[in-house]
Formats: sequence, structure tokens, C-alpha cells
Amino acid sequence: MTALLNVQNLSVRFPIKRRWGQTSWLYAVDDVSFEVQRGETLAIVGESGSGKTTAALGVARLVANSGGTVGLGGSDFLALEGEALRKARAKVQVIFQDPYSSLNPRLRAEAIVREPMDSLGTLPVAERPARVAELFKQVGLRPEQMKLFPHQFSGGQRQRIGIARALATNPELIICDEAVSALDVAVQAQILNLLRRLQRELGLTYLFISHDLGVVQHMSDHIAVMYMGKIVEHADRLSLFNDPRHPYTKALLSAVPSVDQKRKVERMLIPGDPPDPLNPPAGCRFASRCPLVEDACRAAQPPLDAVAADHKVACIKA
Amino acid sequence: MTEPLLKIENLRIELALRSGQAPVIDDLSLELNAGETLSFVGESGCGKSMTALAIMGLLPEKVGSIAQGRILFQGNDMAQMNSSQLRAIRGNEISMIFQEPMTSLNPVYTVGEQIAEVLRRHKGMNKRDAWKRAIELLDAVRIPNAKARISDYPHQMSGGQRQRVMIAIALACSPKILIADEPTTALDVTVQAQIFDLLRDLGRETGTAIILITHDMGAVAEMADRMVVMYAGRKAEYGPVAPVISHPRHPYTKGLISCVPHLLAELTEERPDLTEVPGIVPSLDSFGVDACLFASRCYLADDKCRSKRPPEIVFGDQSSACWKADQI
Repeated sequence: MTALLNVQNLSVRFPIKRRWGQTSWLYAVDDVSFEVQRGETLAIVGESGSGKTTAALGVARLVANSGGTVGLGGSDFLALEGEALRKARAKVQVIFQDPYSSLNPRLRAEAIVREPMDSLGTLPVAERPARVAELFKQVGLRPEQMKLFPHQFSGGQRQRIGIARALATNPELIICDEAVSALDVAVQAQILNLLRRLQRELGLTYLFISHDLGVVQHMSDHIAVMYMGKIVEHADRLSLFNDPRHPYTKALLSAVPSVDQKRKVERMLIPGDPPDPLNPPAGCRFASRCPLVEDACRAAQPPLDAVAADHKVACIKA
Repeated sequence: MTEPLLKIENLRIELALRSGQAPVIDDLSLELNAGETLSFVGESGCGKSMTALAIMGLLPEKVGSIAQGRILFQGNDMAQMNSSQLRAIRGNEISMIFQEPMTSLNPVYTVGEQIAEVLRRHKGMNKRDAWKRAIELLDAVRIPNAKARISDYPHQMSGGQRQRVMIAIALACSPKILIADEPTTALDVTVQAQIFDLLRDLGRETGTAIILITHDMGAVAEMADRMVVMYAGRKAEYGPVAPVISHPRHPYTKGLISCVPHLLAELTEERPDLTEVPGIVPSLDSFGVDACLFASRCYLADDKCRSKRPPEIVFGDQSSACWKADQI
């Protein structure tokens, strides 16, 4: 298998203005590396502020101030310029969280879906209407709905338009940024099934950003758990859910309520809130809330080391 | 058996639309006993929050009104009370926490002033006693260093801490009923776990009955004793949590449980597609009709379902409003 996406040492920082014209930097994503194999799904999970969305936007080159390399099919996506970048953009598309604010209310559905083809010029003009019709069919919308405006659709249907738009340029990598979080549960199931069907049919690769561990467990092949801008655990699906090693991952999994009566996990409560991201601790960033903490944890940042095949953990106690 | 704390009988709430009156709550009956947790489950637009607002006497004026039925709190009908009688109960005997801890606190008052206000208003405490009690409450909802944090403004606290402050305000007068409307939807899972633990402990210590409104079946399984599944303003299923989840008697309940990928005790390679409940909740215009409103999305529906509203069919403690309940 070949890696479609190879992210090395990705960092994304935001400037925070201080008094007297000073600027300090907030590292939302701090030296993160991961790979995604072609046709697979890598999920990035974490709580709000963990940097999962910023990491995805960094990969898509939708934020400034990022460093590192994003290898996409052999070339560094972050180093591309001009026409080469425009061509490469067609290969990376994003499905956004909020189907209400991510569609232009003044455009008809067909124009929204057509727009990426217009701006990236991936298809001759004459062929675009037929492609739009094909996309509508693919995502389960009716042809007569092409002329409608976004407000005439339900939330789930709008998300289908968002998916059709992401598919318009025949991308290889699709970034799903909390793509189902804003939807009601019944509609969420429809969209998740659609995403999986499209992956099977079109051989898509997903970078799936979510805070919902149930959804992640259902959708992904590999999972990276982020905490304060760092990946703390990275494993294949079965290892992560059946044998979590990092205390934060364990706490996260134990916090999810489930209807499975057999799943009686010991609730691992982690006290307090994450530390100030502008002043991250020198050692392990989870140390202040970790039940297993010892002096060595506070001294140096633990590296993300392999503990088994396909299973890496950044914890000296793992 | 003792009289339930809260008893809702045949409640019908109508909302004024441009096209006429729509029953957003249609013939709802339920009981809440002291000390128990009852959960309202359903998709958006099914009337969960509307029921809570009716209990609180907070229906939007001129738009929503109780057309029929009774809300008996300790035997007194709240539907007939005037606003000053309701004010004496609201925040005192029955209180509520909301989904958005960001917007439900007043940004220009310290959290201490907001907790103390309730005590002074309902308990007639003086300033100093109320302040002292506010510190105790903040400590009870497990905010570290309560004595210092009491003078913080809401923006100085995290989302989880703000929700704790909301809980402190709601519990200030030791209410008999606490209504929690999606209290953790805006929060992270680890924070959600902390809030659930807090609510559970407080419920146990004070004997407060909790009405938990949520769309998360996992939360219901973990928190509630009994549950009401609502669909399009009507009660679809009602009963104790464990049997309803292990053997739902209404196709909507079944759909709600199986359409969500739950964390499992032992995960396997197998990953079947999720069960889909096709379509969406019907629009308000069709809420009053004499038919099963779920029929258009139901895999069992036949002509009878589309032409006559199903009665409540009882199975022991459990009941289901479905013509096909015995086939599920």
C-alpha cells in the first residue's frame, strides 16, 4: 500500500498580540506527523482546542503560518505555488461542519456544486452541467432540486450538497471536518452511510475530524488522538478501541456513555481543564491532569513511540 | 403508591402559525416521582424542549398556549396558575439548566452575584448570608478554589465551569425538580462525564428529581431511570430505560438506537452499514392529523397507520403508541 498523504512535522501557529507591539505565538498544532494510506480513513479525534481542525486545515492549506511538509502524491503541497497549487487543490477538498453557513445562500444548488469546477477549471465548460447532474444523483438528491436555493433544503440535504461540491473536482483526499456533528442522529446515519458508500465506489481517502468517538469507531481505519496540539496516540481501529494505552485516550473512551450493557468500563475521570495553550508545560502536556503522573513526565516531552505494530503512544508509562 | 411529584395529564400545547393552530404537544401524559431521573428523547422539533418550557411556565407569550390538559405539581395545576404563583415556583421548586452555558449567564455580573440573587429573591436571605451560601454552592458543584472564583465574571470561566455555575444557580433553592435541557451538548465528552457525575451525586444527596432532555441514547442509558421517546409532539414510547433500550416497542425508538454507532464492549473487524431512518420529522402543519405521524418513515407502516392515530398499547411498565407494537 502507498501513502497518499504523508504529513511530516506539521505545525500551525497563530499570532497573539500582546502589549507594546509584542507578539506571542500559540501553537495550535505542534510538530505533528502522520500518514494516510490511499483508500483509507484516518480519524483525528480530540476535544475542543486540541488542534484537530487546525491540523486538517493546515493539511488543506487553508490557514497561514504553517510549517513542515504535507506530501501529497509525491510532491509537497505546502511548497506549491501558482498554477501547480491550483491543480493540486482540486485533489484536496473539504466537507465542512455546518451545512447552514457553508453554502452560499444566494446561489442555486447547481451553481454551488459547479463552483469548484469553474474556479479550478478541472473540466471543459460544456461538460460541467452533465457532471453536476451526475453528482446530484451520486449523493442522493433529485435532479429537479438542482434549481433550488440552500434554504429550501433540510440540514441533511444541505450536507449532501456540500458532499457533492467536495466531489466535483474528482479529489483524492477529502477532509471531513465534523461533517455530521450538526445533524440529527437519524440524518447523521444517512450521511455516514453515504460517505462510506462513496469511499467504496470512488476509492476516496478521508481525513475524518470528529469529537464523537462512536462515529470515529464506525468510520475510520486508523485513529490519531490529539491533545493540546500533539498526537498522543496513533493506532489502527481495533488496537485503539480494544487496547488504548495513553491515559488520555483511556479517559476519553471511558467518558463516552453507551447503550451497550456489557460495556461497563471503569470511569476514569480527569479533573480540571487543559493548561493555558499560550504557556504549555515543558513536559508531557497531559501531566497536570494525568492520574499516573510522576516527576519524569514533567521533565521532558515523551516521544510518540511504537508499542506494537501499528500502534504508537506518547507516554512513558504506556 | 404515593402521589407522583409531577403529573402531566393529556397536555396539549398549541402554537399559533400563520396557517392556524398547530399542536406541538398533542395529548401527552406522564409522571415524575421524587428522586428519579426521567429522560425525554427525540430529534429536534419533536417537542422535548416545549414540554420543559410548559412545565416551567415559560411558553412564548401570545404564540404558545396550553389548550388542554393539566400539569399537576404536588397536586396543584400549574396550567391554571397566574404569573406570580408561577414565579414563586420557578427557580425555587422547579428550576432549569439550558444547553448553552455561554449565553445563559449574564456577562456583566459576577457568578457570585448571580447565584446570590436567587437566594435573596426566593429565600429572602440578606446579602452576606446569600454570598456565603453561594460560595458553598460553588464548592458543591466542584469548582476548585470557590472562594476566589466566586468573584469571577462568566467570561473568565471555561464552558464546563459555566455549566457548573448554572447548576449551582439551579440548585440554590434545593428544588424538587431540575430540568436539564441538553445540558452537555455544547461540552466535550470528558466534561460531559464530569457534569453527569455531578448531577447524579447531587440528585442522590438532595433527592431532586431530574428531567434530562437529550438526543443521546448513551446518556439516557447512563443517567435515567425512565424515558419518554417523543416524536412530532406525541409520546411514542414510555417506560423504564433498560427494557426500552433492550427491547424497544416502537419503530422510532428502535431506529434512534440503531442509527447511532455506539461504542461497543468488544470491537470487531465487522462494520455493517448503520440502520437508516429515512426522511425527517414532518412539518408543523401536519402535526394534528389523525394518523401515525411516523408512518412516512416507518418500515412497518400500512394503511391503518396512515389513517388512524395509534392508541397507547401497554406492555407491563412499558407503553408504545404503535399499531404494530406487538410485532417489534
